[in-house]
Amino acid sequence: MSLKSKLLLLITISITASVGAVAWLIEERAHEAFRQVERDRTSALVNQFRREFEHEGEEITRGVESVAGSDAMLRTATELANGAEYANYVNEAAQNAAAQRLDFLDLIAPDGAIISSAHWPARFGYKQRWFLDRPAPLPQQAFLKHIETPQGSVLAMICLRPVRVHGLSFYLIGGRKLDAVVQSLSPPTGLRVSIFSSPEQGPGELLGPAKESFGSPKTTALVQKVLAQRNEASTTVESAQALGQEEIVHAIPLPGYTDRAPAVLLVANSLEQELLLEKRIRNISLVIAGVGVFIGVVVSGIVTARFSRPIRTLAEAAAEIGHGNWNVRVETSGKDEIGKLAVAFNQMTEELMGQRERLVQSERVAAWRELARRLAHELKNPLFPLQITVENLLRARQNSPEMFDEVFRESTITLLAEIANLKTIIGRFSDFSKMPAPQLQAVDLNEMVRGVAQLFQAQLNREPARIKPALHLGDVSLVNADPVLLRRVIENLVLNAIDAMPKGGTLTFLTTTADRFAVFELSDSGAGLTLEECERLFTPYYTTKQHGTGLGLAIVQSVVSDHGGKITVSSKKDQGTTFHVELPFAGAGTVESGH
Amino acid sequence: MKRLLFRLFAISSLVLLAAGSHASSRPRYGGAVRILLHDKVMSLDPLSDEDHSAARDRMAALAFENLIGMDAQGHSRPMLASSWHSDPAKRAWQFHLRLANFHDGAVLTAADAAASLQKSNPAWKYSAPDRQTVMIETPSPVQHMPEILALSRYAIVKRQTDASGATILAGTGSYRVAQWQPGERAQFIANEDYWGGRPFADAIEFQMGSSLREQLMDRQLGPYAATELSIDQIRAVEQNNQSVTLSRPADLLAIVFLQPESGGKPGKKTVDPRIREALALAVNRAAISNVLFQRKATPAAGLLPQWLTGYEFMFGGATNLDRARELRADAAAFVVVSPISLAYDFADPQAKLVAERIAVDAREAGIVVQPYAESHINNKTARSSINADAVLLRVPLQSVDPQTALAARIDDLGLFPESSPAILAAARPEDLLEIERKLLAGNRVVPVAHIPQALWLNNNAHNWQQMVTGAWQLDQLWVEGAR
Repeated sequence: MSLKSKLLLLITISITASVGAVAWLIEERAHEAFRQVERDRTSALVNQFRREFEHEGEEITRGVESVAGSDAMLRTATELANGAEYANYVNEAAQNAAAQRLDFLDLIAPDGAIISSAHWPARFGYKQRWFLDRPAPLPQQAFLKHIETPQGSVLAMICLRPVRVHGLSFYLIGGRKLDAVVQSLSPPTGLRVSIFSSPEQGPGELLGPAKESFGSPKTTALVQKVLAQRNEASTTVESAQALGQEEIVHAIPLPGYTDRAPAVLLVANSLEQELLLEKRIRNISLVIAGVGVFIGVVVSGIVTARFSRPIRTLAEAAAEIGHGNWNVRVETSGKDEIGKLAVAFNQMTEELMGQRERLVQSERVAAWRELARRLAHELKNPLFPLQITVENLLRARQNSPEMFDEVFRESTITLLAEIANLKTIIGRFSDFSKMPAPQLQAVDLNEMVRGVAQLFQAQLNREPARIKPALHLGDVSLVNADPVLLRRVIENLVLNAIDAMPKGGTLTFLTTTADRFAVFELSDSGAGLTLEECERLFTPYYTTKQHGTGLGLAIVQSVVSDHGGKITVSSKKDQGTTFHVELPFAGAGTVESGH
Repeated sequence: MKRLLFRLFAISSLVLLAAGSHASSRPRYGGAVRILLHDKVMSLDPLSDEDHSAARDRMAALAFENLIGMDAQGHSRPMLASSWHSDPAKRAWQFHLRLANFHDGAVLTAADAAASLQKSNPAWKYSAPDRQTVMIETPSPVQHMPEILALSRYAIVKRQTDASGATILAGTGSYRVAQWQPGERAQFIANEDYWGGRPFADAIEFQMGSSLREQLMDRQLGPYAATELSIDQIRAVEQNNQSVTLSRPADLLAIVFLQPESGGKPGKKTVDPRIREALALAVNRAAISNVLFQRKATPAAGLLPQWLTGYEFMFGGATNLDRARELRADAAAFVVVSPISLAYDFADPQAKLVAERIAVDAREAGIVVQPYAESHINNKTARSSINADAVLLRVPLQSVDPQTALAARIDDLGLFPESSPAILAAARPEDLLEIERKLLAGNRVVPVAHIPQALWLNNNAHNWQQMVTGAWQLDQLWVEGAR
């Protein structure tokens, strides 16, 4: 991935993350604000319910007290206390309940027997002792309790007042259905309210006009939880009125006269409007984020291009230098870090070129010095016998003229031999300087290796230093090579290997392929070379042998290089040396021939 | 002297007072008597399947007479039949008719009587050996034929059809029908040619269908001579020192389980006998009689009241909730105990209270009774289409003769028609007790209370005769203020 792409990606990610974070923050803030509004609405409705609840309780208390304090009731209680038939008063409660608009009114005897019941006239005579058997006094205000009626248990707000005459206490229990309170509420749009009535026995039921919409299992579970814990709780449920819409249901336990909550106030707040607004805000945020990201990407693309262009130029220049083009220069524009880098790059290339020139010159000088040393060394060896022979001739002519002819004849042979030796030395130097250009053609490398091995078969088998050849020839395509020069390369390597194994060993021939090249490896099992020796091995006139000229491997490297190939050496002490030759396949491209 | 003058003044005052009181108690002719009826009567025909047969019979008794009547003490008395006798086997009866005319002017003949009786009871054989003699032959002995013939359904009615196909009824009673608006109003005017002499009042008018509360208002404000009362109104009326006439607790209030074989809806599932018994044991009859009926009613254990038979106490009728719960649990082990729907008369507010009380009592035994109001539950035909498991019926006492009363009662309840011959043939109270015990054994009918009929009478109405059964005899009725 390019620097520009990396920069673009990094900036895009940064912009996207920033915009996303801002959008999330906005949405969270909006969500929280809407929840607060929802809580406020619910709280307002609950407060309204409580006011209505208290107001209804006061009215009930007033109504029951009015009945209890009436002259008629006192007269009735007095008559009853004086032994009047209960049967004569079986309709007493109904008249009083109607007068005070009470849904429930029981006139109860001191022993708890119902004398008259407005809501269930047929229940006379049955005992109602829940308030008599209770150790703690009942609240003076109206409270919630389930009242038994012919239709079942009904949640009611009731109030109890005693009517005391002649030391006997009769009781009046009156009240109204609680759903009237729910009916009187006027919840704003989106809010619904209901009451879950939970009698002590039997299943509960929902009250109020919106009761049908509170029947979801989650709401039921919430109610059970609130009843068990007697604490407010809320949950989010799918609206029963609009599929797919959600609403928050708040459950508030309503206290009775015992610890047990007889009912739960349920307030459902539809989240439809909030969710719509939240969705709108989210969409706007997404649009803004998208536009922001787009603009950010475009701007960052432009900026990245401006920043990355000089770097790319530097990279291209560096690549050019890597390919050997030392004349590359980069444009230096600006005084920022990139400009300074370009200047430094240009200085560096100029410095490198200077160093390269100096290195070439020093290498050239060193080569000439080496050549001079080798020449001096090579020439000094034959010159010394020549000097001795000539001095012997002179000494024989002066001291032993009679033996001069014989000495002359022997000296002449020696001189001719040494002169021939000098010619040989000079010929070699001449050959090195006159390497011919390779005549490339498709050559079967395996066939050539096999032929060379066959050629040296007799020499390898020579005792006592017997060398065992091992051929591992792979499936190698034809290579692009001059068969004569390539044969000289392989023969030269084989000769070096034979020289490296004076005590015999194993000579391994291996051919294979690697990438776009055919590979030939020749390994001996000789004493091996040092690292320094390996590094200098292909240097002309460098040799480790007593009688070598130091040009063999230099010529080999030169030939391989002329073929577009490469030769390397690796060695381990006392384990042998391996030459690794790579040659291009035939048809892989033309090879520029040259020295 | 002063003492003499004082004595003369006192004597003259007493004479004037006695003359005045004599004048107010002497019957006077003329005037119209207006009566308020709670029930709506749709037909005067004694054989009609009427919702409110007791109210119907009260009006019909003015226009239609039986061969034999019952006096206020429940004794048979000659009506259209001036005399009668039977064979020793009590299977053949002969009645001699008095001279009487129908309201249309035709003379009553034995053939007319036989034709009317033939419609009343087709199971018997009727004949007219002569113009004034009616013969009745029965397949089985009938011990109390006079009492039976005194039942309203045996009234002698001449049925004719007019040009439009409508049935015209003609009777021989002391009043004849002048206006008839079914369910609303009926006016009877005095029959000038009545064989027993013209009645005192010129007319008797009935206003039907007013609620008991409206009746209370009309009673206080309107010119009515009499209105029916519900039991709970008696106390208020009595506190105002007004006149209340109360019959003996004669009507039977009972739970009747509707089953296909007893006039119920075809296919109706039978309530388990153990549940029926449990309900019978759960009902607190004393509370119902003492409180709801203000001690004016008596708890019912039998079909006939104790005062009539003398053996009702042998049926028990005490509440036993523990046993009821056991029976209910026993039944629940074998069958699904479903709620019992109990229909009560829509027009009877006290029936509603009783039904609700029964539901309360049943609840204590673990039985769910669901009372609901229903129209026409007193109509046997309509009852067969009611979807209730049971109905709370109030049936009148039609005779003070136990055999006759029991036979009529099971006919009204729509139960055990096969028992009727045995009842009529029963000669001893023990036989009747055994029959009734069998009738009650399956708890298909659960007696609840015997209820009296209450009537408010205006002080200007005189000679209003209410039988112990609650039936009215108004032929001697007269009102003050008439000419």
